[in-house]
Amino acid sequence: MSEALALNLLLFLPVIGGILLLALPERRADLVRGLAMVVLLAQLALAAWLYLRFQAGVPGLQFETRLPWIPAWGVHYHIALDGLNLLLVLLTAFLGPIVVAGAFTSITRDVKLFHGMVMFIQFTMLGTFLAQDLFLFYVFWEAMLIPMFLMIGIWGGERRIYATLKFFLYTAFGSILMLAAIIYLAHTVLSADGTPSFAFADLYELGLGVQVQTVLLAAFALSFAIKVPMVPLHTWLPDAHVEAPTAGSVILAGVLLKMGTYGFLKLGFPLFPDAALLATPLIMTLAVISIIYGAGLALVQDDIKKIIAYSSVSHLGYVMLGLVTYNLLGVQGAIIQMVSHGLVAGGLFLMVGMIYERCHSRDLADYGGLAKLLPAYSVFFMILTLAAIGLPTTSGFTGEFLVLLGAFHAAWPQFEQGVNHPLVLASLAVLGIVLGALYMLRLARRLLFGEARAPVAGLRDLSLREMGILGVLVLAVFYIGLFPNDFLQKTEQAAMEYQERILAARDGEIER
Amino acid sequence: MTPEGLFVAALPEHLLLVGILAILVIDLVSDRPRDPFLPALVTVLAAAGAAFWLHRIGYAGAPFPGQFSVGSDALAAKAVLFVLTVPVLFLARSERLDSRVAMLLLASLYGAGLMLSADSLLMLFFGLELLSLPLYALVVLAFRRPESAEAAMKYLVLGGVGTAVLLMGISLTLGSTGGLSVEDFRAALAGDDVLARGAVVLVVAAFMLKAAVVPFHAWAPDAYEGASVPVTAYMATIVKGAVILALVRLFGDAGAGPELLAVLVALPLLSMVWGNLAAMRQQGFRRLIAYSSIAHAGYLFFALLGAPEGRFEAVTFYVIVYGLTNMLAFACLPKGEDWLRDRLDSLKGLYHRDPRAAILIAVAMLSLAGIPPFPGFVAKFLIFRTVMEAGLVTVAVVGLVASYLGIYLYLRVIQYMFMSPAPAQIRTQPATGFAATAALLTLAAVLLVGVFPGVVLGWL
Repeated sequence: MSEALALNLLLFLPVIGGILLLALPERRADLVRGLAMVVLLAQLALAAWLYLRFQAGVPGLQFETRLPWIPAWGVHYHIALDGLNLLLVLLTAFLGPIVVAGAFTSITRDVKLFHGMVMFIQFTMLGTFLAQDLFLFYVFWEAMLIPMFLMIGIWGGERRIYATLKFFLYTAFGSILMLAAIIYLAHTVLSADGTPSFAFADLYELGLGVQVQTVLLAAFALSFAIKVPMVPLHTWLPDAHVEAPTAGSVILAGVLLKMGTYGFLKLGFPLFPDAALLATPLIMTLAVISIIYGAGLALVQDDIKKIIAYSSVSHLGYVMLGLVTYNLLGVQGAIIQMVSHGLVAGGLFLMVGMIYERCHSRDLADYGGLAKLLPAYSVFFMILTLAAIGLPTTSGFTGEFLVLLGAFHAAWPQFEQGVNHPLVLASLAVLGIVLGALYMLRLARRLLFGEARAPVAGLRDLSLREMGILGVLVLAVFYIGLFPNDFLQKTEQAAMEYQERILAARDGEIER
Repeated sequence: MTPEGLFVAALPEHLLLVGILAILVIDLVSDRPRDPFLPALVTVLAAAGAAFWLHRIGYAGAPFPGQFSVGSDALAAKAVLFVLTVPVLFLARSERLDSRVAMLLLASLYGAGLMLSADSLLMLFFGLELLSLPLYALVVLAFRRPESAEAAMKYLVLGGVGTAVLLMGISLTLGSTGGLSVEDFRAALAGDDVLARGAVVLVVAAFMLKAAVVPFHAWAPDAYEGASVPVTAYMATIVKGAVILALVRLFGDAGAGPELLAVLVALPLLSMVWGNLAAMRQQGFRRLIAYSSIAHAGYLFFALLGAPEGRFEAVTFYVIVYGLTNMLAFACLPKGEDWLRDRLDSLKGLYHRDPRAAILIAVAMLSLAGIPPFPGFVAKFLIFRTVMEAGLVTVAVVGLVASYLGIYLYLRVIQYMFMSPAPAQIRTQPATGFAATAALLTLAAVLLVGVFPGVVLGWL
C-alpha cells in the first residue's frame, strides 16, 4: 500500500466507521463500542506506520494527494503530512481509542450517537491538520464545531446548553472573520497570477503589503487565539470544560486546543510574516499573560476540572511563546509542548472523570487522602501531576524547557542591542513554571493527601481497563520525556522552513 | 421565426401547459376525483428535463423578438426551479393534492418560466402575476385553520401593492426612455433624471416586496404560517428564487449607479440583521423559516452588487442550495395536526422519537446557517466572494457578520431536537410515505451538492 493511499484511508476511516455504526442497532451498545474501538485502533496503526515511514530532513510535503474539488475556484482536495502536522496527527489518532475506552462506563445514553460524534470529530480534526488547501482547511476547521457542540450539549453537565452555545458562538465569531479574510485572499490570489489557487504553498508566496497583511493576520489571529485560547479570549474554555463529558474534555484539551496554535504555526505567521514580526511583541506579551494569569486562576479554583482547564490556558501560553521565538529550539519546543499537553491534560481530565464517576463531585473540598483509599489511582495522578509541572524525564519538561531555551536564545541578542522586553517576558515565563508547580501540587495535596475522606464510602480502585488507558498514556509521556530525539528529528526540517519563511521577511526589511 | 424555434424555445413551458390541460381533461372526463400526482410529477420532470437538455446543447433562441427569448442562463434557471418543484409535489401529495392544487402549482411554475425568459417589462409583469395569482388561491386551499384565510388576504393585498408598484415603475420607465424592453430598463438604470431613477427604484422595490426584503417583508411571516407546508416550501424557495433570478436577468450586464448601490447594500443588510434577529424569537417553525427566508433574501440580493458575470452563477447556486435545504427540513417535519406540528416545542426530543428526521433537520439547519461541510457554506462563500470581487470589501465583511447572527437560531432548533426533553404529550408521528420520499430525494441532492459543488457549478 502506498503511503499517500494510507493517509487518505487514515482520514476517511472514521467516516467509514460512522456509516457502519448507523447500521448497528441502538440497543447493542457493546457492538457499537467494539466497532468504534476497532476502527480507531486501525486508524492508530495507520498513523503509527505513516509516522515510521515519514522521512526526516526531507523538505516540503510528504505522502501528498491533490485532486481538483471545485475546479473553477482552484479549490483542491489536498492533504499531506509534513513536520508540523505529523506529531499532531499521531496524537489525534492516539487519543481516539483512549476516548472510546474512557467512555465505556461513563456514556450510557445515546451510545450510538456518541460514537458517531467521536468518529465525526476525529475526521474533522485530522482533516484540519492534514489539509494543505485553505478552503479545505476552513471546511474541516468549522465542521469540527458541530460534533463538539452536540457532545457537550447532549452528554454534558447541568449548564451544558449554556456552555455549548457559548462554545459554538464564541468560536464561530472568530471563524466568520477568518472566512472574510479567506474570501479576500481567494480573490487576491485570483488576480495575482491568473490561476485561482487556495494551496498553502501558493499562498506563502503572495508577498502582500504590510498593511493588508496586518488586517488579514488580525482576522486569522482572532479565530486562532479564541481556539488556543489566549487571554483575554479564554472565557469560553472553563465553561466548556466543566460542562463537557469526560470524553469531550479529553478531546477538547487533547487535540482541539492545538488547532489554534497549529493555525498560527501553519498559517497565521508564515502567511503574513511581516505582520507577524510587527505583532510579535504583542503576541509574546499575551502569551506570557496567559501563562501567568492562567496559572494564577488555576491556583484559586476549587473545581478540579476548572483547575485543569485554566492550567491549559497557561500551558498553551508556552506554545505561543515558543512559536514567536522564530528559532528552532522554540518552535520545536512548542510542537513537543502541544503533544505533551495533549497527553497530560487529556490524562488528567480522564482521571477527573474516573473519580467523578465514583463520587459525583468535582469539588476539591469534598476530597482528601485518596492516596490511602485509592493507591493505584494516586500513583497515576501523581505521575501526571509531575508531568504537568514539567519534571525532567516527562514530556512536559522537554516541551517547556525547549520553549524557554528558545525564548532566551531569541531575547539575548536583542537585550545586547538595548531591547529589554523579550528578556523580561522570558523571565516572567519561567515564573509560570513555579506557579504551575504550586497549583498542581495544591491539587495533588488536597486530593491525595491529608485526612482520608471522600464524598462516598467504599470506593473501588482503578479497574484493569482504566489502568490500561492510563498506563498507555503514562508510557507515552515518559517516552517523549526520555527519548525526544526521534520527534525532534522529524520536525526539524519543517520548523526550519517556518523559521526561514519569517526570517526572510525580517531580512527583507533590513535590506529595504 | 421558424415554427420549429417556436416549439423548441419554449418547450419547457409547452410541456407544463400540456400537463395542466391533461390534468384538467382527466378531471373532467372521470366520474370520481383522480389523483393528479403522477401526471403532475411527469410534467414537472419533463419540463425540467427539457430545460436541462436545451441548456446542455447550448440552445439559444428568440421566438418572439423583444418579448421572449431563451439562452443558457434562462434555461439553467428554469431547470433548477422546475426540479426544485419535485419535492413540493411529494410534500403536497403527503397532505392533500387534488387536481386544483396541481394545476395551480403548474400554472404558477409556468409564470416563473415566462418571467425568466422575458425581454420586455410587460412580459415580465405578466410572468410575475402568473407566478403570484395561483399562490393566493393555494394559500386558501390549504384551509386548515381560520388563519389561512387571513394569511391569504394579507398576501393578496400586499401582492397587489407590489403589482401596483411594479406597474408604476414600468410606466415611469416608458415615460423616461420611451420603451418597454429590458434594454430600456437598463438605460433607465444608467440614467440620472428623476423619472429614470423613480422607475428603477419602484421596479426594484416591487421585486423586493415579492422576495420579502426588509422593509417590504411584513407579509411573509403571516403568509408562510397560514399556508400549508408544501405551499410554504414553494413560496420560500421557488417563488423567491424565480423573483430574484428574474431581477438578475433584468439587470443583465448593467451595474447599479451609486444611489441605487446604497439601496442595494442597505436594505439587504437590514434584511439579514432583522430576519436573523426576529427569527430567534419565533415559536412556530414556519414563522422561523419565514424570518430566516427574509435574511436569505438579503444574501440573494447581495449578489446583485457583484460583477454581471458572477451574479447569475452565485444566485442560481444559492437558490439550489437554499431550496434543497428548506425542502429537506419541511419534508422531515413530523406529521400531526397542522398547528401542532408547526410548533417548535413539538420538535423537542425529536432525536429520541425519530432519529433519522432529527439528523436530517439538523443537516438542513446547519446548511442554512452556512456551516461547512454542508452546501449552504459554499453558496454563502460564492455570494460574498462575488461582493468582495466587486471591491466592496467592507460591505462583504459586515454582511458576513450579519450572517453570523443567524447561527444561533438554527442551533436553537438543533438544541430542541437533541438536547431538550420531549414534551409530556407527544401527538406527532414520524413523517412517512411521500414526505419521507421527498426527504430522501432532497437528501441525495444535498449530499451531491455538498460533496461535489464543483460538478453542480460546472453545469451552470
